[in-house]
Parts: sequence; structure tokens; C-alpha cells
Amino acid sequence: MSVPRPRNYYTQPEFIDVNGLSTACRRKGRGEPVLFLHGAGSTRMWLPMYERFSQSVDFIAPEHPGFGETPRPDWLRDFNDLVIHYDQLLAALDIERFHLVGWSLGGWTAAEFASYYPRRLKSLTLIVPIGLRLVDNPGVDFFKLLPEELVDLLFNDKAVLETVAPDPDDFDEICQAHYEASTFAKLVWSPRYNLALEHRLQRLECSTLVVKAEDDRLVPNEMADRFAEVIPGAKTVTIPETGHALCIERPHETADAIVNFITTLPGAGLDVK
Amino acid sequence: MNKLKFYFFHLMPYGFVPRSSEFDSSWVTLSNEHYDPTRGHQLYNEYIDLLVAAEKYGYDGAIVNEHHANAYGTMPSPNLIAAMVVTRTERMPVGIVGNAIPLHGNPVRVAEEIAMLDVISGGRIISGFVRGIGCEYFNNPVSPTDSVERFWEANELILKAWTEPGPFTWQGKHYYIPNVNVWPRPIQKPHPPVWLPGMGSLETLRECARNRYTYMMIFAPTWMCKWAFDKLREEAEICGYELPRDQCMAAIPTYVAETDKQAHREAKAHMQWLFNTGLKIKSSHYFPPGYLSDRSFRGYWSAVREKGAKAPKDLTYDDLINQGYIIVGSPQTVAEGYAEYCDELGAGGVLCAGSPSGPMPNWMAVKNMQLFAEEVIPLFRAADGKPEYLREEQKIGATNAERAAQLGDPNNPPTAELQGMDEVADLRTIHLPEMIDASLYDGVTAALMEKD
Repeated sequence: MSVPRPRNYYTQPEFIDVNGLSTACRRKGRGEPVLFLHGAGSTRMWLPMYERFSQSVDFIAPEHPGFGETPRPDWLRDFNDLVIHYDQLLAALDIERFHLVGWSLGGWTAAEFASYYPRRLKSLTLIVPIGLRLVDNPGVDFFKLLPEELVDLLFNDKAVLETVAPDPDDFDEICQAHYEASTFAKLVWSPRYNLALEHRLQRLECSTLVVKAEDDRLVPNEMADRFAEVIPGAKTVTIPETGHALCIERPHETADAIVNFITTLPGAGLDVK
Repeated sequence: MNKLKFYFFHLMPYGFVPRSSEFDSSWVTLSNEHYDPTRGHQLYNEYIDLLVAAEKYGYDGAIVNEHHANAYGTMPSPNLIAAMVVTRTERMPVGIVGNAIPLHGNPVRVAEEIAMLDVISGGRIISGFVRGIGCEYFNNPVSPTDSVERFWEANELILKAWTEPGPFTWQGKHYYIPNVNVWPRPIQKPHPPVWLPGMGSLETLRECARNRYTYMMIFAPTWMCKWAFDKLREEAEICGYELPRDQCMAAIPTYVAETDKQAHREAKAHMQWLFNTGLKIKSSHYFPPGYLSDRSFRGYWSAVREKGAKAPKDLTYDDLINQGYIIVGSPQTVAEGYAEYCDELGAGGVLCAGSPSGPMPNWMAVKNMQLFAEEVIPLFRAADGKPEYLREEQKIGATNAERAAQLGDPNNPPTAELQGMDEVADLRTIHLPEMIDASLYDGVTAALMEKD
């Protein structure tokens, strides 16, 4: 079975051999290298936010093992495997130091990577990340939701949703969603957080930005605050009129906020037009 | 007409919940605030009494199962119920179909409990293994993506724990047990019979054929049951044997009354509760991601789309009757329905025969149970109407005298090695005055013993 192509924004990825795993990757732009880790969905697309990034930086958007067009390998068991995978991907791309940006599940992955390789990061940006424990508010169990309930909570802007949502009757897309959700469940079913991050993230040395939605109805807004609290010196920025899908809802504002953060860091190689 | 075994299956529903249109799932999210323990006390005891009564009515066995966090079946620990049924019955097999082995932290615990029940019951236990339905993964720390692998690994571990001498070390992918050494060992050799439920998954059918496990088709239309049994026969042939009928079981909710009309009058609402309320399950609860492999997910949903198959909650009473999910009618109608299962499908037994469907009043459950036992069961038995198990030799003697005759002298009589005594003390006789050397006592006990 071949992986179906979304209706909009599909581009052919290049495939990078990462220690035997053919990893789908899209890359465009010049300047500071930015590795972007996607969330548990919205795969196979070159989204408007990616395009905006690529006008200012070298934007690298691989697809996680078990998502999009990257197959799910037997060895994938937990976040440690993802961290090692991305170390190997960067080796294949011959990149040592870079800016790391992760959205939602990608935010958790980025936080894990940062906790193992703090000195390789020029900066860290977590966009509505998941992965810490909120004792008083475990939040919505996204696995209990029907697809229509999930997208309702993901998107505050329903008009934008229409541009990326698959045809609900497209059976291949239904199977692809299940495939990606299975990878997601493998990583996060139990527990839905990594308590060790509370301690490990304290050793981060790079500048960190936490990007918040104005009203995240899927993941509690306190989650982003909690990351900012745990990571030394982390700043936060809120993108107005957005929910958990802020990268799709306000692509330019989200990209600009992050590009501005990256390019104005002390000692950053500026590449401003 | 071929013979057929009839198992009395109690799902233990809890009916005192809001009307079904007021909630989206009887599982996972229906709050236990709706559970009233006082009603539960009465229901559990009525339900257990019926399971016990199945022996006197002449059923081939009593069956229980495991489910969590729902109103459909309030039996999170089936081994507890089986323990009660076992001690209140004499000869009837008791089936647990089954323990949801991937959900438990240590499968050895299941091996131990089933072995205990098998020993206590004199070798009457049928041991089903299930994955638990998708809903049950929400109540557990086990990822549904690990369910299939954990199931087969736990199955292998339990079978080895029952059949190979301990201690041994289990070094699996999902379980590591430094010391597996199950006390007690089960009575049945090589091990209690294993039953697996299925809904047509090819892998389950293959493993049943390969391991000679009994396959149970769960609540399905007749065509699907036929397809599964045919496939099982085919797989058994590939393994080099002819499939015994007893390896094919089907769970078919059944209600019998004096006439067809009366049976429908009494059964309809309860059957609809079973499917439309008890099995009202949100699809995201039923199939959390990874519970079905990518291949099974595609196969299952494309079959559903092609056949226009309905979820249980959407099946009408006509669907249930016409498609053969259930059998309702006079003794003659019900017998004809079962004749199809044994003669055309090749089933060796059915579950839910004469059993309560949904939370029906106790009197109605008893009426169904008795009429079924007296009017239907004998039609599928030898002339004397006896269940098969009464023709089989008991696995151990029923009385102390028989067992003493069977056992003879033990290889290892119970002994103690006492300080100051060269010979080992036989604990069965050491209390006799002529066996005790008074010099073995010292201190307080020496003074006490010398008083006489």
C-alpha cells in the first residue's frame, strides 16, 4: 500500500538514509539551520508556515519514524529511539549545531533531544509542547476522541481546517491516520509525560522560546507555562487568535515570532532580508 | 442431528443506568456514579446462583469472563466468580473465557490463579485467554500497540509455567521474570484447555489451529461464523489433523419460551439492551490506535464498508434475528436454529445457551434457563440426556477413600528435622508418645513434659 497524498500542500520529499531507515524530509532556504519536528499529524505537506520559515532560514522538516512517508521501524519503542534517530539524521546531513523547533509531539521530542544534547543547540523552540505532568489538570485524553471531535479541539479557526483536512470518506487517509496514531500511541500511551524531564531540562544552556496558543482547547494552556517554568531562562510568546493548530492557523505570525527569536539571539549569524 | 454442548454464560450486566441516548458509550466514560452497590449486592448473588444452578439443570458448563469499566459486564475479576462457582458445584466444568492476559503486569499471576482453581475444582477449569477489548486499554497502563505481542508472549509464558518444571527464567520482549515457579501445578494434563475468542482475525484462527485451542466466535452473524469455522478447518488440515467439532464454539444469545410469539414478547427489549445499550461503544473507545494492526485495521474496516455492516448499537431486532446473531423462539424454533450451527457450520458447542441476555429480571432468566435445559438440550444429547462430562472418568477421586487408594504411600512424606534427633521426624506420627524422646525437650517444655 502506498502512502496517500493530501489534497493540498503535498510536495515530494527527499529520502535520507538514516542508518537504514529511509526518512522523508523536506528542506528549503538558506541561513541558520532549523530542524523542525512535527506533531502527531499534518504530515506529507509543505505547509505555508514552512515556506515562510524558508525565506529566512535553512528549514529542515523530516517526518518522524512511523509518520507520513517514513516507515515505522521495529526498533521504535520510545523517545530514546527518536533522539538517537535525530542524532543520526543530523550526522547524515553533516549538521553539528542548529536551532531546534518542535510542535506538540515534536515539542516533547525536541525537549528529550535537548536534555541529551544541550550543547548542540543554538536555540530551542517549543510550540504548544506536550510531555510534562500537570498534576491538577491531566487534560483531554485525545485517544478517546472521534476524529471530528479531535479536529474540533485542534482548530479554533475552522476555515483554515478545510485547507488541510483530508476527505473524511477517503479510506486510505483513514488508514494513514490510524497508522500515525498507532505510532503516537506507542510513544505516549503510558504515561503521557516524562517526569524525568522536570529535572533533565534544568541543564539546558541555550536560549529557549515557548510558543503558546491564545486558547489551546486540546492541551491545557498551563502545559506551555510549565515548560517555561522548568527550563532556565525560557521566554514565552503567545500567537493571538489560535488554538493547538497554531502553525496552520497563523503560519506567518508563528514563523515570524520564531525567526525573530532565532535571528536576534546574541551571536547569531544574522540573515535578515 | 449432531450433538452439541451448551454452556451457560453470565455476562453480569448492570442495567440501572440512564437511558442510552443520554450517554455516548456504556464503556470507558459512563461514570461509576451510576453503580449502586446495594443493587449490585443482589445482582451478583442472583447471578452467581444461576451459574451454580447450571450444573443441576444439566448444562455442559458455566462460563464467566473479564471486562472493565462498563455496564455491559461487571466482572473485572472473573477468577473470583469462578472460585465461588467451583466450590458450590461438584462435576460441571467452569470456564473463564477469559483472563485478559496482556493487561496484567505479570502473566504468572494468571497461571497461578488458574492452577489454583484447577486444583481446587478437581480439574474442571477451562482457561480462556483474551486481549481485552480496545476499551479496556483506557483503564490500564498498557499501550494498545503492544496488545497483540503481549498476548502471545503471555500465552507462551503461562503454558510453559504449567507444563515445564520450575524454576526457570523468562526473558521475553515484554516480560522478564527472574524466577518462574508456579505452585500449585494444575491437575489437567498437559494443561487446562485453552479457548480463544475471535471475531474473524486470521492470526487467531491460525494460532488456534496450530495449538489445538478452541475457537469461540463472539456475537457475529451466521455467515461470519461459518467463514471462521471453515477457515479453522482449513488451517487444521494444513497442520495435519482433522478439526474436532469441540474446537468450534459460537456465542449466541438465546431465549426460549412456550411459543415463538411469547418468546419475542419476553426477549426483544432485553436483546436490544444487550446490543444497543450494553454494546453502545464509541468507535474511538472500541479501537484505540494500534489495538488492530495496520493490516487488520484496513481489512476490518474495508469489510465493514463493503458489507455495510452495522455497529452493535445500530443493529435492529430484525437484524439480530435475520442475520443469526441471536436465536429466539419456541423450543422447536430454537432447536432448528442450533441444528444449523451443528449440522451446517460444524460447531461443537455454543455459549450463552439458555443464558440471560441483558439485565432481565431474575425470574425471566430462570424461566429461560429451565425451559432451555428441559426442552432443547435433550434434543442434542444421547437418549439418557446426560452431559458428556458425566461420562468421563473424574480426573481425581471424588472421596478421601478413593484418593487414598489412588495415591498410596507418598515419595516425600511431610517431615521435620529436629535438633538433637538423628532420624527425621514423620509429621504424621511424631506426636505419639512412643515416637518422642523426652531428652529432645529442654528449658520450659522439658519441665512441662516431666510433670506427668
